[in-house]
Amino acid sequence: MKMMMGSSFPEEVLEHVFSFIERDKDRNAISTVCQSWYEIERWSRRRVFVGNCYAVSPLILIKRFPDVRCLELKGKPHFADFNLVPEGWGAYVSPWIAAASTAYPWLEEIRLKRMVISDDSLELISKSFKNFKVLVLSSCEGFSTEGLAAIAANCRNLRELDLRESEVEDLNQSSGHWLSHFPDNYTSLVSLNIACLNSEVSFTALERLVGRCPNLRTLRLNRAVPLDRLAILLRRAPQLVELGTGEASDLRPDVFSNLSGAFSGCKELKSLSGFWDVAPGYLPVVYPICPRLTSLNLSYAATIQSSDLIKLVSQCHNLQKLWVLDYIEDLGLEALAASCKDLRELRVFPSEPFGAEPNVLLTEQGLVSVSEGCPKLHSVLYFCRQMSNDALRTIARNRPNMTRFRLCIIEPRTPDYLNHQSLDVGFGAIVEHCKDLRRLSLSGLLTDRVFEYIGTYGKKLEMLSVAFAGDSDLGLHHVLSGCENLRKLEIRDCPFGDKALLANAAKLETMRSLWMSSCSVSFGACKLLGQKMPRLNVEVIDERGPPGSRPESCPVEKLYIYRTISGQRFDMPGFVWTKDENSALGLS
Amino acid sequence: MELQLGLALPTNPTSEAFDLNYYGFEANNKEVDRVIGPCYTSSYEGDIDDIINIDNNKRSFGQAFENSSRDRVVPRTLPLLLWNNNNHPSEEDDPKDLENHHSLFAANKNVGDGDGDGVVGWPPIKSWRKRLCHENQVVRAWNNQMVENGYVWGGRRASNSNYVKVKMEGVVIARKVDLSQHHSFETLTDTLMDMFRKWSEACEKNSNNYKLIYQDREGDWLFAQDVPWRTFIRSVQRLKLLKSSG
Repeated sequence: MKMMMGSSFPEEVLEHVFSFIERDKDRNAISTVCQSWYEIERWSRRRVFVGNCYAVSPLILIKRFPDVRCLELKGKPHFADFNLVPEGWGAYVSPWIAAASTAYPWLEEIRLKRMVISDDSLELISKSFKNFKVLVLSSCEGFSTEGLAAIAANCRNLRELDLRESEVEDLNQSSGHWLSHFPDNYTSLVSLNIACLNSEVSFTALERLVGRCPNLRTLRLNRAVPLDRLAILLRRAPQLVELGTGEASDLRPDVFSNLSGAFSGCKELKSLSGFWDVAPGYLPVVYPICPRLTSLNLSYAATIQSSDLIKLVSQCHNLQKLWVLDYIEDLGLEALAASCKDLRELRVFPSEPFGAEPNVLLTEQGLVSVSEGCPKLHSVLYFCRQMSNDALRTIARNRPNMTRFRLCIIEPRTPDYLNHQSLDVGFGAIVEHCKDLRRLSLSGLLTDRVFEYIGTYGKKLEMLSVAFAGDSDLGLHHVLSGCENLRKLEIRDCPFGDKALLANAAKLETMRSLWMSSCSVSFGACKLLGQKMPRLNVEVIDERGPPGSRPESCPVEKLYIYRTISGQRFDMPGFVWTKDENSALGLS
Repeated sequence: MELQLGLALPTNPTSEAFDLNYYGFEANNKEVDRVIGPCYTSSYEGDIDDIINIDNNKRSFGQAFENSSRDRVVPRTLPLLLWNNNNHPSEEDDPKDLENHHSLFAANKNVGDGDGDGVVGWPPIKSWRKRLCHENQVVRAWNNQMVENGYVWGGRRASNSNYVKVKMEGVVIARKVDLSQHHSFETLTDTLMDMFRKWSEACEKNSNNYKLIYQDREGDWLFAQDVPWRTFIRSVQRLKLLKSSG
C-alpha cells in the first residue's frame, strides 16, 4: 500500500501543491503527515518565523529548512520596550546572519524585532545575499549609519528599507551621507522608512533617489526634512501611497501654497504620518486628501489641539486606522465616531503621561463613543486617567468583535471612579463578550477575581499583560490553567509567587514565554523549575548580584521563562542566572 | 505562526498530572490550596510515578513526549529541596530576608530609567515617545519663560506658540490655550467658551456670563478687557474665567 502511494504521486507534484500553502500552521500540519511529506515540505519552505530567537538555534533551523528566502526573528521580550530588560541582556542577531550568509545565499528578506544588530552584520548581509530585497528593523539597536551605507551601496535589488522605531547611531560623515551610497543606477526602491533617524540626511541624495525610483510607494521621512523640501519630494513622487512628513513648524504662505499644489498631485496617498511640531495653519494642505485616507498617525503631533483634530478627522470618512494623542479629547472621539464608520484600529497616547493631573478632557467616555459609533473597531490601545465598570461593560457589549484591547489607566491601581470598586467586573465583561479576543492589557484596581474571569472566558487569548494587579497565586493559577491558547504572558508588580507557577509548570512548555518582574517568585522555585523542565530556559535576571548569596526564599527581581529546543544560550550577561550556574548557587 | 518544535504531537501535556508542588511545598494559604491542589510535606517518600500517574491512565508528562526517557524529565529520586525551610513570611525570617522581600513590592523607583518620574517603565510608553513628551513640556515651559521676559519666541522648534493655563470657575480641569493663534479678545473668548462648553452648558453658552481675568507679570489679577490687546498679550501669565453676577 505504501509503495502504491509512493509511485502514484511524484515529488514534483506534491511540491507544486505545497507551493500554494503559505501559512506556517498549515505547513507544520503537512509536515507531520508522513516522512516523505516532511521531507518535501522542508525543502520547499521559503518563509520562516521565529518568535523567540533563543527557542531554536541557527543550526537547527538550517538543518531542517535548507532553502529559506524570508527570515523573521524576534528577540527581547515585549517589556524591553519599557526599559524593564537591562542593557546587554541579549538578542544578538550576528550568529543568525553568520549562519545564513553561508547556508542561504538566496535569502531575500530579513525582518527583525527587538534585536541587536551590528554594522558588521549589516555589511555581511549586504555582501552575502545577491538577491536581497527587504530589510525591516523594528525596535532594533546596535548599528549606525555606517551599516546603512553598506546596505545602500551593495544591495542592488533592495526594495524595502524600514527602520521603524530603531535606535540608529549617527556617525557624522562629512560628505556623502549614507543615502548617497545608493548607486546612480539603483532604481528599485519601493519602501523607505527613516522616521526614527535623529539627524539630517543629505537632501540632494534623497531627492535624487526619490526621483529615480518610479516604484516608490512608501516614504516616511524623519523630523529633519523641512516642509519646503517635502513639496519637492512630492512632486518627484506623486505616486506615493504612504507618506510620513518631517517637521512643519514655521508657517509661511509661500510654503503653504507650494505644499498645497504638491499634495493635490498625489492621487494615490492613503496613509499619512509624521507631523512633528506642525503649525496647525498647515493642516488645510491635507484636507483634499482626507477622504482617501485609510491610515493616519498623528501621535507625534503635539502641536495640534482638539479643534484642529476634529476638523481633520471629520473629513476622513474612509479612515481605518488612527493613532493620535489625547489632545483629541472626548469631543474629538465623538466626532471620530460620527465620521469614520470604517474605523478598525484606534490608539490614543498620553501627551503628558508623567503629570499628576489630567491636562486634557479625555475620559472613558471617548472610548465608549467610538465603540458605539464604529462597528468595525476591533483593535484598541487607550491611555486615560479614569475608567468605570459601566463603561467597560458598555464597550464590551458594543464591540463583541474586539480582538485586541489594551487599556492603560495611568495611575496604578485606580478603582472605578464612580463607585470606587475594582474593575474586575468591567474587564470580565470584556473577556466574556469578546469571544475572539486575542490580546489584552489590564490596568486599574484588580483582584484575583478578574483572573478568574479571564481563565473562564479568555479561551482565544494569546497575549496577556498584567501590572499592579491581583491578590494571590490564585490569580496566576486561573490564567495558566484556564487560557488554552495563551502564548505570551507578561506580569509586573503583582503578588504572584511560587505555587501557581510550579503547579502549572507543564503549561509553560505550551507557551512562547513568561515574564515576571517585581513579583514574589523565589529563587528556589526558579531553580526547581529549571531543574525539572529541561525544555524551558528559566532565566533569573537580577542586578543585585548572585542569587545564591541570598536565601533561596528571596524573590528574584525579574524572571523570564521560555521554551526552547536549543538548550542554554551562551551569550548571557553577568546578571542573568540559569540552572547551569552552579557552585555558589548551592545546586550540585 | 510559530516554528513547530520537532515532530511533537499536537496534544498539550496534561497540566494536572504534573505539579511540581508535589515536591514539598508547605501550604500557607488555604484558599490557594483548595484550588491549586493539596500539597505533600517534605516528608513524603512515595514513588514519583505514583504521584504523577494519580489520574487513572492519563499519560504522564514524561510519557506524552516520545523519545524522552522518564529519567530525563523526572528523576526517580526525590530532589533535595532546601528551599522549603524558609519560604514562609510568617516564620522567623532573617530581617535582611524580609527587607529583600518587601523591597520588591515597593515600586522600583527610577532605576536607570532616566526620566526622573516614579515607577520604572510606567506608564508603558516607548522611550522615543517619552522623549517627545519631555521635549514638548520643555518647549512649553520655555515658551512661557520667553513670554515672561518680553520676547516673542520665533525659534525653529516651537514656532510662535504661546500656551498659557486657563481655569474656569467651578471646573476642576484646567486647560491650555495657544495665545499666538489669537489677535483679539473676541476670538480668544470664543475659543475659551468652546473649550469649556461641556461645563458651561448648565449655564448658557453665552460669553456674557463669564468675565475673563488674567494674571500679569507682577502677579496681579486684572480684567482682560480693560487693557488693549497688545498690553495683555505681552504680560499675560495665566487666565481665569469668572462667573459674572450680573
